Amino acid sequence: MSERGKVMSIKETRRGGAQQKLWAFASLIVLVAGFSLASPNFFQVSNIMAILQATSVNGVLAVGVTLIIITGGIDLSIGTLMTFCAVMTGVVLTWAGMPLLLGVLTSIATGALCGLISGTFVAKMKIPPFIATLGMMLMLKGLSLIVTGTKPIYFNDTPGFSEIAQGSLIGRIVPAFPVPNGVLILFIVSAAVAWILGRTVLGRYTFALGSNEEAVRLSGVNTDAWKMAIYALAGGICGIAGLLIASRLNSAQPALGLGYELEAIAAVVIGGTSLAGGRGTILGTLIGALIMSVLTNGLRVMSVAPEWQTVVTGAIIVAAVYADQLRRGRAG
Amino acid sequence: MSELVRMQSVDKRFPGVHALKAVDFDLRPGEVHALMGENGAGKSTLMKCLSGVYQPDGGRILIDGAEVALPTPKAAKDLGIGIIHQELALMRDLTVAQNIWIGREPRLSFGRIDEARQNADAAAIFQAMNVAMDPRAPVSGLTIARQQMVEIAKALSYRSRVLIMDEPTAALNDSEIAELFTIIRKLRAEGVGIIYISHKMDEIRQISDRVTVMRDGAYVGTVEAADTPISAIISMMVGRELSDEAVRIPDLSGAETALEVRALSRGRELKEISFSLKKGEILGFAGLMGAGRTELARAIFGAEPPERGEIRVHGKPVTIRTPSDAVRAGIGYLSEDRKHYGLALGMDVRANIALASLPRYADRLGRIDEPQLAGIARDYIARLSIRTPDDRQEVRLLSGGNQQKVVIAKWLLRDCDILIFDEPTRGIDVGAKAEIYRLLNDLAAAGKAIIVISSELPEVVRLSHRIAVMCEGRLTGILPGGASQEQIMALATAREGMTVE
Amino acid sequence: MFTRRTLFGAVAALALIGPGSGAFAQDKMLVPLISKGFQHQFWQAVKAGADKAGAELGVTVTFEGPDNETQVDKQMDMLAAALANKPVAIGFAALDSQAAIPLLRQAQEAKIPVIAFDSGVDSDIPVALASTDNVAAAALAADKMAELIGDAGKVAVVAHDQTSRTGVDRRDGFVNRMKEAHSGIEVVAIEYGGGDHLKSTEITKALLAAHPDLKGIFGTNEGSAIGVVNGVRELGSKGITIVGYDSGKAQTDAIREGLMAGAITQNPVGIGYETVKAAVAAAKGEAVSANIDTGFYWYDKSNIDAPEIAAVLYE
Repeated sequence: MSERGKVMSIKETRRGGAQQKLWAFASLIVLVAGFSLASPNFFQVSNIMAILQATSVNGVLAVGVTLIIITGGIDLSIGTLMTFCAVMTGVVLTWAGMPLLLGVLTSIATGALCGLISGTFVAKMKIPPFIATLGMMLMLKGLSLIVTGTKPIYFNDTPGFSEIAQGSLIGRIVPAFPVPNGVLILFIVSAAVAWILGRTVLGRYTFALGSNEEAVRLSGVNTDAWKMAIYALAGGICGIAGLLIASRLNSAQPALGLGYELEAIAAVVIGGTSLAGGRGTILGTLIGALIMSVLTNGLRVMSVAPEWQTVVTGAIIVAAVYADQLRRGRAG
Repeated sequence: MSELVRMQSVDKRFPGVHALKAVDFDLRPGEVHALMGENGAGKSTLMKCLSGVYQPDGGRILIDGAEVALPTPKAAKDLGIGIIHQELALMRDLTVAQNIWIGREPRLSFGRIDEARQNADAAAIFQAMNVAMDPRAPVSGLTIARQQMVEIAKALSYRSRVLIMDEPTAALNDSEIAELFTIIRKLRAEGVGIIYISHKMDEIRQISDRVTVMRDGAYVGTVEAADTPISAIISMMVGRELSDEAVRIPDLSGAETALEVRALSRGRELKEISFSLKKGEILGFAGLMGAGRTELARAIFGAEPPERGEIRVHGKPVTIRTPSDAVRAGIGYLSEDRKHYGLALGMDVRANIALASLPRYADRLGRIDEPQLAGIARDYIARLSIRTPDDRQEVRLLSGGNQQKVVIAKWLLRDCDILIFDEPTRGIDVGAKAEIYRLLNDLAAAGKAIIVISSELPEVVRLSHRIAVMCEGRLTGILPGGASQEQIMALATAREGMTVE
Repeated sequence: MFTRRTLFGAVAALALIGPGSGAFAQDKMLVPLISKGFQHQFWQAVKAGADKAGAELGVTVTFEGPDNETQVDKQMDMLAAALANKPVAIGFAALDSQAAIPLLRQAQEAKIPVIAFDSGVDSDIPVALASTDNVAAAALAADKMAELIGDAGKVAVVAHDQTSRTGVDRRDGFVNRMKEAHSGIEVVAIEYGGGDHLKSTEITKALLAAHPDLKGIFGTNEGSAIGVVNGVRELGSKGITIVGYDSGKAQTDAIREGLMAGAITQNPVGIGYETVKAAVAAAKGEAVSANIDTGFYWYDKSNIDAPEIAAVLYE
């Protein structure tokens, strides 16, 4: 191909990247418009808030796992890690009676520490991420049950804890727009992670690891350390998800968590992040998570039979990824 | 003599590119017709038109004098046109015979595969090729050269009368090339027409009957190989004369020693290797495939750390266990396989140049100073004349020579003053090669210490101030610059017990 | 074979760390209970009752169940492992009664009596069933709901499962009672949240969006009921009558606060106790009555602290 040809194709790929996000966003708009037409009860402020709120936990998990998927890895432990973080928060707040801030820090630190352990399995011990985090998923699930003695821990003694996800700082300033804090936190976490990915060394290495890990290592970069840092960051984000779910349920439910990882991964994939690594955006993941919750909420509001809701959700995941493949095939 | 293939004013456009401009080409039975041109000249596009991958926008393709349509690769195969791609397309975990008959397996009842017949048929093809090959051997255990034999057998299994070979010798050593040429000559004697794409001039002289040169998508001319000097072919390719300058060896007697390696050993691959390298010097490493040159480079760089031995940089001993240790000591390694080990292909030029030096351009929060990096990237693009529309171009879209320059820029930015180039011009076309040579000389003149590993003897001779030769994991001798290829070959085949001082 | 391997691993680990491995000795009768769950408070209460009976009758009782109520396959593995230990009798709460029949037949051939608990098995192999009459209990929930909303209007059900016996019985018991006895009430939606608190919360919010004139919601187990309470609380909806099932601290708190009107409680301790008692009797060849009703109660703010209610509620 001549130089001119190359110039053309790069412009096309760049446009392709923007187009992809545009497409995902367009599908979201189409879904919202479709449901709004189908049911007058869908496009109501309270229902939209409910959808946003329903996105918060899955969205934060998805943002965290996006980092790991961009490196070419996978993390199956995010769901049970979220639960474990919630449980440790309960231990600190309810059992030990520590102040709220300490509980928040505990959750994030627990997540980061567990992420670091997963990262060590993957980077230092060279266990494939799927297996390493599968093991972590089971260990954390068991630990949650052991620590709690299978009983939920309630946060009744910590006033203000439920405000973390359920209160609305924005609503206090703009009463007509009572965006729950959980949603606010989701957006803040997304913005922060998008910034890290786009502007920092950690972010650059995240993409580079997914693009060609060996080339990065042979550039003299300590890939093991960076990989561990990325898993730890993702773990810390799971800790935030743990706070959100604990705050919404006002309790740490040790039995929850399994299955949440797959929903988060689905959101990431719908958002156009490649499971092969090297490619992905937080905005895409956010849109993917919103598509998931709009879909489940919309189908329920339309009173579609529950069995069919599941079928439709599965079909949409496959269709979204297929559409992405088509677009990519055309761009390349 | 009748014609096997005739392509008449074949035209092909892609959006924004006129890839083929009324190209003519013909092939006779029983000839080897070399197709030459720099990367991007349109050779591959032309061959894709002939093998049914692309549809030409204009012109005609005639087989045995009759015009044909080649709407699919299968249609081309059915007409007896076989193609062997540069990057081999074999399934590593299947056997030789399974690879050859994939998609056309002889069947028994109930969909069972007739493995016995499959193996026997494959054996027959290898026998006709005069190659000893076990059809039941898994492909993953074969060398690249042997895998190529499998590709050829696969193409022949379609009863190909036209065989297109795209850079078949890129990964082969001399004895393997000789074996390949024997097969090509045998096929030629049987009347198969062979289209041979290569950058290696000496091969063209050895094997081909006629040479067609393309440049910028256009047909330049066809000449008889036997009575055309190489310099004439090169000038047809690049559109200008290339002077074959001899190496100028600088006086380095006063130069400081940059790198000293003492008794470096690892297993059977590296045995007690010692040498030193001065600032401003280019030390060439010659040897046959498997002599241990790449292993030596990777050992010095810490990619696979040595078991014993000492490495001194600027007189001080250093411990190198990982590539990051080596980089900290100022050693950069440019792998022979840029795509796998040198570049993050999906990332842009700027990010690749900065890959080894990122923390230096970030603040305490880890925030990258993009404007500064952009300036640096543009500076290197200008200094090394990297041909790219801008610094945000994805590296995978650059040509091989320009990719190589991006890797060089990466190490220069990291202040590495000892650079190890492993096959620096592999897969790079002639014009760009000269440019890389000039760049290496400039770097040496600027005081960098350079090691060049190359399997092309003329390249080693042309570049090196001194030539180190390896054989079977040992350093068999160090020759002064300008040594003859015969001297190098003598050392490269000097087996244990006959080390030359 | 992943489940098998985890199971073996778990058994091996238990054998190593279990202080009571001596208790598996032959001198005591072994009665394993394979339950539908393990982590929910309800099952912990059943276990407490079973342990109590075990201590009184001098038999070794083991208790296990899968992580959630969809893991029929894991429950089968557990049942198979329990049979392999040569117990004198088995207590079994089937997630899917059809799936269990081959294993139950094995038990029958090995002359190991099976006591079904919590929910029945569509088979004549179990010699007795110790359970709450879920249909009748859900019908009582329907009557209470009707009474609270004035016998007219729209209600919805957030159920925990669409295939298990308890899920089906409670849903049908509630819906059919409404049809038969309360024609002014329409059940407009039935959704399934798998007993997951958060999923049930989202379902409730979607239901309230879809049906703004909804007057009441019935949550068919602990997780579903808590999810309904959460959803209503998050939306801040007023005038929704919530009827729950089972107990647990979150539910009892909601009742005390007045957010939940009331709930049906089973007698989980009784279920566990009666199951082990019947198992031991059957093992000794004594006669056992085929249906052991372990009872259920309606509780609300007014009687939540009454001794007979407090005794069957769990935290």
